[in-house]
Order: sequence, then structure tokens, then C-alpha cells
Amino acid sequence: MIGIEDCLSEVMSIPGALDAVLVEPVSGMAVVGSGTPDPARSAAGLTETFRAALEGIALASPEGTVRIDTMIITTETSHHLIKPIEMVFDGPLLICLRLDLERSNLALAQWRLGIITDQLMAH
Amino acid sequence: MAPTTLDTVLTRLAADNATGSLRVGKDGTVYLTGGRVSYVECTTTPGVEELLTTSGRISASGVRGIRQAAGPEADGGDLLIEKGVLSRGELEFCVLGATLDASFFLLRPAGTPRSRFKEGDTHWLGTHWYFDVPGLFRECERRSARLERAWPSAELDGEAVVPVGRLNGGHVLLTAPQWELVLAADSTATPLDLARRLGRPAYSTLLAVRELAAAGLLATHAASGPDTADVPAALPKRTPAAQSGDASERTHPPQADAADVNLLIRLRDALEAL
Repeated sequence: MIGIEDCLSEVMSIPGALDAVLVEPVSGMAVVGSGTPDPARSAAGLTETFRAALEGIALASPEGTVRIDTMIITTETSHHLIKPIEMVFDGPLLICLRLDLERSNLALAQWRLGIITDQLMAH
Repeated sequence: MAPTTLDTVLTRLAADNATGSLRVGKDGTVYLTGGRVSYVECTTTPGVEELLTTSGRISASGVRGIRQAAGPEADGGDLLIEKGVLSRGELEFCVLGATLDASFFLLRPAGTPRSRFKEGDTHWLGTHWYFDVPGLFRECERRSARLERAWPSAELDGEAVVPVGRLNGGHVLLTAPQWELVLAADSTATPLDLARRLGRPAYSTLLAVRELAAAGLLATHAASGPDTADVPAALPKRTPAAQSGDASERTHPPQADAADVNLLIRLRDALEAL
């Protein structure tokens, strides 16, 4: 069982990790961040990105409800992964990770994120 | 002596690395650990206890038992984890969420509420998350700005939530909190009532109400009475693409302008002259 701080260090230990931030998306607040110069700014931007994607994908999906497992955006230099963790009370909590394009393995990163999520929620 | 605002009291306690509780009027309490805020309680928002019981994780008597067992060392949070009520991550996020929620309502008033500091007093949950004082105030301001962005009127904040009976458009997109709100709204409960009933943070509920209002899904005074029609009509409407136009616009057919008729006559004359 791990807490939020440990969760961040686990995420940063994923091969190719450049920076990571855990975001509380109700107000777009950076809960904890590592490697990013301005976590508050990253958190605000990532919250908007996630919200827009959720709304857009809901409109584009034939199903009635949409649940995003992982959102992956690839830029010229990096992969951005956003994984929402549903919390019982409020949430979700967003785990946002930026990976080096050359040095990372997307499949491995997704698998590791899944394990870390389970550890965060295990009790 | 100049009146001391809550802001200055907390800033001073932070500078002194104080540990204890600051009772704010009758509305709530701010807990500090080593000069940082570790928990905030407010009478208008659900605390960790309520969030746990309304979500069915533990019964009210179960919480009481743990609270008594926690004792003066205040390790109630650790006991909750040991008993498998929730994980450490969940507890931390829950404390963080409840603190932000309570702070938004407790620290916001501009007045100078009477406050009393009790040295060494700790919350029974123990310390599971920290906020620095300026950071907490900054977060409250950001939350306030976010509410304004969603729907720039406090008109519905204290009123009963009444969803409209009929949609303007063919379909509507709702988030999970909005769906819960629409289901629970009984036309008498206010946003804060609904937050307690649903075991959701008060701020999130308020935000969901304002978003629903912006989407034209809640009855506002504009729709309910002609006396107040002029005030809310001036509010900007942030209507998503799914809802085309709002009811008040639709009831009025477009008014023909006399100038248009003259233009048409001139056009006809010009065409006939060709």
C-alpha cells in the first residue's frame, strides 16, 4: 500500500519518465509534482486537456457513457500520459506523466501505471 | 488595535511554526501542524467522517468507535487504514479534498471573525496531508474564479435546485456529478443540502449546479417570474453546442425591420431596371 507521495516516486521510476504531476481536477490543482518547473501551470493545462478530451470523446462515442482509462498524446519530443483514478469521495485524481519519446516504452509505461494505481487504491 | 483578519492570524501562526487548532467563530476549525495547515473543518461542508459514512465505507458508530480508540495521540487515520476502511492514498486524497472544500467556505468571508487558538490541539484523524497557508488561500481564490467562469452569478448558490422539465436540444452531455445532482434534486434542496445528502464536497456540488445552469438545464428566475426577468436575462449564457439557443430567445419570433422592406423594394427596382 502506498500514499500519494510514494505514488509520484513510483511514477517517476518508470523508464523514460521526464516529469510527473498528480492533479486534483476539480480546481486544477497540482497535488504533488516532480521534475516540472511549474507544477501549477502544468496542472491547470492538463486538467483542461483531460476535460476537453472527455467531452469530445463522449460526443464521438456511440455508447451512452464514456470512461477514459488512459489518455496518450504524442508530441515531437515526448509522450504525455494522463490516467484518471476514480476516488470514492470526489475525484478523479489525475496521474500525469511525460515520457521521453526515444527512451520510453509506451506499453511498459501503461502496465506500470496500472500497477501503481492498484497499489494506491489497495487496502 | 487594527482588526486582525483570518489571513493575518494564520500567516502569523505559520511563521511561528504553530501546532494546534484555530477555532473560527462558530463556523469551523483550522488545524495546524508545524505551521502548516493539516485539516480544516467547516459546518457547511461534509468532513472526512461524513464522506466516509455517506459513501457506505463505515457506519457512523464505526467512526465513533475509531474516534474514541484514537485517543490523544490522534492516529485515527492510521486506525481507519488498519481496519481496511480505506487505503492510505484514499485517506490522503479525502483529507486533501475535505480541507480544500472547508477552506473555500471558511476562509473566504471578508469580515474579521473572532478566532481562538488552542495550542497543541490535534484532529482525531491525525496528520495526513499538508497545505502551506499562502497556498491554501491561493487555491480558494482559484476555486472562486472557476465558479465565476462556469456561470458568473451566485443567484442559484443558495436556492433550491430545480432542473428544467424539458430540454431545449435533442440531447445533453452530463458529467457524473451533474447526473447525481439531477437525480437527487427534488426542487426543495439547495446545493449544500444535496452535497450532504450525496456525500459530495460542497464546492463540487456548487460547481456542478453552476455548470448545469450555464447549460440551461436549471430553472432560473428568468424562467419562473416576469418580475425578475430583466436581471438574470443580462447574464452571459455559456451554452454548449448541444443546446441550440435558450428558451427565452425561442419564444420571440424574429422581428422584421422596416428598413429591410425598403431595401427589398430598392433591390427589386434595380433588378427590373436591368
